[in-house]
Amino acid sequence: MSPITLNHYLALGAVLFVCGVLCMATKRNAIGVLMGVELVLNGANVNFVAFAYYLRDAQGNSVFLVEGQVFALFVIVLAAAEAAVALAIVLNFYNNHLTVDVDTAEELKG
Amino acid sequence: MEHPGLLYVAATLLPLASFLILLIWGGLRNFARRNKATSPALDGVYQILGGDAITRTPAYIATAAIAGAFVLCLTGFILHAQDEHTHGAQPAAHAHDHKHDHDAAHADGKWAAHFEWIRLGSRENDSRGALALDLGFKIDHLATIMFLMVTFIATLIHIFSIGYMSDELQEKVEDHHVHTAHGHLERRGRFGRFFMYLSLFCFSMLNLILADNLFQVFISWELVGICSYLLIGFYYERTSASNAANKAFITNRVGDAGFVVGLLIIWTYVGTFNFDEIFARLRSPLHDSHGAVPLGGAFVRANPGAAEPDGRILKLAVPKPGEEAGSEVVLFPVDATEGHFHGVGHGRKFLRSEVRLSPDLDLDGHGHIPYWLLTVAGLGIFLGCVGKSAQFPLQVWLPDAMEGPTPVSALIHAATMVAAGVYLVGRAFPMFTREALLVIAYTGAITLFVAATIAIVMTDIKKVLAYSTVSQLGYMMLALGVGGWAAGLFHLLTHAFFKALLFLGSGSVIYGCHHEQEMTKMGGLLKKMPITGLTMLAGVLAIAGTPLFTGWYSKDAILVAAYGFTSVHGEHMLLFLAPLVTAGITTFYMFRMWFLTFTGEPRDAHVYEHAHETPWLMTVPLILLAVCSIGVAWGWPVWDAEASAMEKHVHHAQHHAVYTEFGTIVDKDFHEGALPEESIRQAGQAGHTLVGLLALFSAGMGFLFAFAVYKLKTLDPAEAKEQFAGAHDFLAHKWYFDELYSAMLVRPALAVSGWCRDFDRVVIDGFANGFGRFWVWVSKWDGLFDNGVIDGLANLLATMAYGVAGWFRSLQTGFLRSYVLFLVLAAIGLFVLLKYLVSVAVAG
Repeated sequence: MSPITLNHYLALGAVLFVCGVLCMATKRNAIGVLMGVELVLNGANVNFVAFAYYLRDAQGNSVFLVEGQVFALFVIVLAAAEAAVALAIVLNFYNNHLTVDVDTAEELKG
Repeated sequence: MEHPGLLYVAATLLPLASFLILLIWGGLRNFARRNKATSPALDGVYQILGGDAITRTPAYIATAAIAGAFVLCLTGFILHAQDEHTHGAQPAAHAHDHKHDHDAAHADGKWAAHFEWIRLGSRENDSRGALALDLGFKIDHLATIMFLMVTFIATLIHIFSIGYMSDELQEKVEDHHVHTAHGHLERRGRFGRFFMYLSLFCFSMLNLILADNLFQVFISWELVGICSYLLIGFYYERTSASNAANKAFITNRVGDAGFVVGLLIIWTYVGTFNFDEIFARLRSPLHDSHGAVPLGGAFVRANPGAAEPDGRILKLAVPKPGEEAGSEVVLFPVDATEGHFHGVGHGRKFLRSEVRLSPDLDLDGHGHIPYWLLTVAGLGIFLGCVGKSAQFPLQVWLPDAMEGPTPVSALIHAATMVAAGVYLVGRAFPMFTREALLVIAYTGAITLFVAATIAIVMTDIKKVLAYSTVSQLGYMMLALGVGGWAAGLFHLLTHAFFKALLFLGSGSVIYGCHHEQEMTKMGGLLKKMPITGLTMLAGVLAIAGTPLFTGWYSKDAILVAAYGFTSVHGEHMLLFLAPLVTAGITTFYMFRMWFLTFTGEPRDAHVYEHAHETPWLMTVPLILLAVCSIGVAWGWPVWDAEASAMEKHVHHAQHHAVYTEFGTIVDKDFHEGALPEESIRQAGQAGHTLVGLLALFSAGMGFLFAFAVYKLKTLDPAEAKEQFAGAHDFLAHKWYFDELYSAMLVRPALAVSGWCRDFDRVVIDGFANGFGRFWVWVSKWDGLFDNGVIDGLANLLATMAYGVAGWFRSLQTGFLRSYVLFLVLAAIGLFVLLKYLVSVAVAG
């Protein structure tokens, strides 16, 4: 059994990312879209943390200290904030349209 | 009385006061009537001013004013006659005491005074020192008697008018001569207006006589002209009346243009309008410093720019005997005295030989006027007189002026205003050159003959009298032109009386026949209107020159003057023959008129039925005028044609220039002259008896002819008319003067104005319109360019931006999923691009 390498993490991140994107691109439910966004963000988080942990220079010293983890934490915080705002928008949208179907939110189309 | 001359000023101003009262009264009343509905106050004013009723009060005011003026003039006349300074002012004596006389009688304002009216500024080297227009009066023998005549006749005519104009007292006057859509015209009576105009006329006429300067005369001249215009057009609703008024006014403008030219020349060269000053500047003093050599009140003619033999260079040099007279007339200083002049030479030949001036007098400073220009000035002023006195060729207006009420015809168009022309020629006599005087004489001769021949065929009683007036005015002009100064003005006076009588008589006939003027409808009226008929007979006898009637004295004097002139100047024989023959024609047409009107069978039963004698208001003036027409010119002995007191009176006013030009100066200091002019008077006096007999013979023939044709009926006028149809037509059309003027002046003027109108319409308007149209066309193209190209470009930009924006808009689908898709695709695209760039960079 080969050890878990950076590429594994990157593949996981990519899968998460693609899942999130597909989720955003296919869901008509606003909550579903939000969930897709969360997946994309977390895909990116996995990449941050993985790079921070695995990237070494020629002497075998770590290139980053904790920058990747800190970035990930920031993203989580921002995601929480974003989720709060987004949910508030969704609630208001529901109040006005009695639905959370994002295809009905087309008043600003050209 | 200290200033008796002021009596005449007062007499002049009285009618003016009357005019102003009537003007203000009438004006206020008219205003109140028009606006009385708007306010009760104005209605009250209207009622106070007389309300709707037309009263005789204006007539009383006007008559009182002119009668008052007459009384003043009579007083003045008596005072003037008693005044020793004015008495015996014979020309020679006058000259001797010129300075003294001037001081005593004129400068102190006793009989003459003037004050500055308008100052136009000062100018250098002028003896007057300033350009100023004066108002003033000068009373001499001529003025006194003219005043008396005018006020007397005017008073009588005012009284006559109260009767004659009584139709105008109605609130509704029907004018039978004016037809409207609703029958005859009805209008308010214009009684007050008539007397207002008369008053204004009287003022103007008196002012004209009063004036001591040409400019004041000119003002009055225009004032009487406008009064004449207003009164001719009194019945202005009648087309004929308004046309006649216009004709009179416009014809007079022609004359007045000449008058203005004369005024301008005098003003420019002589520098004053005052009669005495003009004469003093133009004519030399009677004597030189020795008192022996007569300078004789002549024009001194010199040539400019010649040297004197004694070395003194004069700008003006008087030619030597035998040489041609100089081209310039020397202007003397106003205050020149005889002491300033040294004559050289003998007798009156001196006038044309040499004048040596005392060294202290610099004539050059006072200038000179070209002789021909002086002639032009004289002719210009005479042209004004031609217009006013209806002389050939401006005589056409006077017969038409008979459209006015008959008293007006009597006062203005017979007795006074038309005589103003003659009066002015008399007043301005010393400034006329011989050439100008000859023109005056010939104008008079032509006029008197032409008018008399026309009078033969006229059938309108007033037209006969109108042409007779023109003819008689011609006599006066002729007399003045041939040196019969006193004779001409004497005839003016006598003519005023008998012509006023004749016109008032015709007015009485017209009134009695209910406004019928055609003599062809009259006849036998003597039985119906005995007073009118007999008084008119007196007038007819007077104008015909019957011995012992006024006309005899004056016409005789004129013929004597003409005879004297022609016997010296044989080439001007016509000037004697014309008045002599015309004397016969005059008698003929006047008796024709009288016979046709008053004798024979009534030709129109209707007119005859209704004819009646006129009321006393009208007959009393007739009787008074008849008495004057018979006796006003009498002197002692009555049967002596030369003994007329009136003529002698007029003679006193004669300027010595008349003697200089035409007669012997009765002065023992004078050398017996050799100039032909001196013998004129002697020749006239020598031929007096002959002339008198000839005139009587001529008049007698005229009477006999008229008697035979119209009383005895031995000749049938209708037959004669047929036989001489050509001549009759010629005369009945007044020598075709109207037609001639129409063809010569009116129609060309109309044609030229037609051309001007067409030119305006076609060329000027065409150009303006074409220009306008051109710019409209240009603007249209400009508009197209603006709309098409400029706006098109702007719109194209906008449309393109709009199209592009529309296309971009379509990307904003509003579908969240498609946005995500784009995001992904873009990201993938970016990565592919990045990959490619990195590979290129690594490879490169």
